[in-house]
Amino acid sequence: MENKNNNKKAGSKSLGAQFWKEFAKGIIISNPVFILALGLCPTLAVTSSLDNALGMSAGVIFVLLCSNIIISIIRKATPASARIPVFIVVIATFVTILSLVFQAYIPPLYESLGIYLALIVVNCIILGRAEVFASKNSVLLSIGDALGIGIGFTLALVIISLLREILGTGSLSVFGLELFKIPVLSASPMTFFILPPGAFLVIGLLLALFKWLGVIKNE
Amino acid sequence: MASKILSNKIYPLVFLTIIVLASVSLLVYINSITAPIVEAQQEAEIKNMLSGMFADMDDYKYEDEIYTIYQDSEIIGYAFLAKGKGYGGEINILVGVNEDFTIEDVVIISNTETPGLGSKITESSFTNQFRGMAAGDVALKKDGGDVDAITGATISSKAVVEAIRKAMEEKINLLEGD
Repeated sequence: MENKNNNKKAGSKSLGAQFWKEFAKGIIISNPVFILALGLCPTLAVTSSLDNALGMSAGVIFVLLCSNIIISIIRKATPASARIPVFIVVIATFVTILSLVFQAYIPPLYESLGIYLALIVVNCIILGRAEVFASKNSVLLSIGDALGIGIGFTLALVIISLLREILGTGSLSVFGLELFKIPVLSASPMTFFILPPGAFLVIGLLLALFKWLGVIKNE
Repeated sequence: MASKILSNKIYPLVFLTIIVLASVSLLVYINSITAPIVEAQQEAEIKNMLSGMFADMDDYKYEDEIYTIYQDSEIIGYAFLAKGKGYGGEINILVGVNEDFTIEDVVIISNTETPGLGSKITESSFTNQFRGMAAGDVALKKDGGDVDAITGATISSKAVVEAIRKAMEEKINLLEGD
């Protein structure tokens, strides 16, 4: 009796530990943007302001979490030959729900994310997690994976958008509230940074920086 | 038994059909909740914009793509949409005209012009210029009109000007024909 209890405890503990492992890996060591270099299209497009980056991140976390849960639940019944269309339908459903909800309740965000909201469907982070993780793991671990990758994506978008908004407009605001304004820079901002070339430059430099930090760590 | 079902050739088809049906019914349900909210929002937005142009407006009617503005059941002006092709894509403009077909005000509803350059078309320093103009005056100064272009954003400025003039000529013809 005691043994059984111990086993059960050990089992649940390792499941918890596994959950945290899957959760933590997505944030830094397999950060979707900086390390896996996935989902770069929305990353480039929406990081011109912090607001957009946060809105996009919230959207991706919602879709990733829901699709991971559903795909994990149906993984044993899903036929291998039809799995990709099934994943896409599941993902598209949640993206459509998201855009309907955004349109109804947060129209300014819906407007500013524009086409990129609908394009979450083809964000390879989400399809990637469905194929690599959720279709092979339990619901609990899939939740951990979705949250970890989602937060890693958010972290990347926030870093990029902070740099771009501050350099490109000389000020920073969140949800219409201005946090600060840099005197000289805001008068003649480096508009380049909120334009597409600025996105490429910032992401390229950040990727190089993280690569360099990784190299240092390995040595 | 389970493996027998899974290995059936029709099974993937059936499974995908079930998933799609579930997806569609869920979306229909959610759309039925959000659609009225979205509609009400758009109407409120239009009303808000119209009353921003015509402070005395107490009612409006939408017909043939023209908003007719009423005060105490008397027509005090008209408003209509103008679409321009800018540097970065479509520019949507709401144009308000008085009874004598001079511009009351113009509002840039949406644009995808370059932030910090072409996007200045939304600023009042640009849009205020149009007030009081008749359709014939709506042109850039270099084209013999009365409108100052935005420095560094001639294409965006021109797109707005052309769109407004074209829309005005078209709608005024329509209104005068009535």
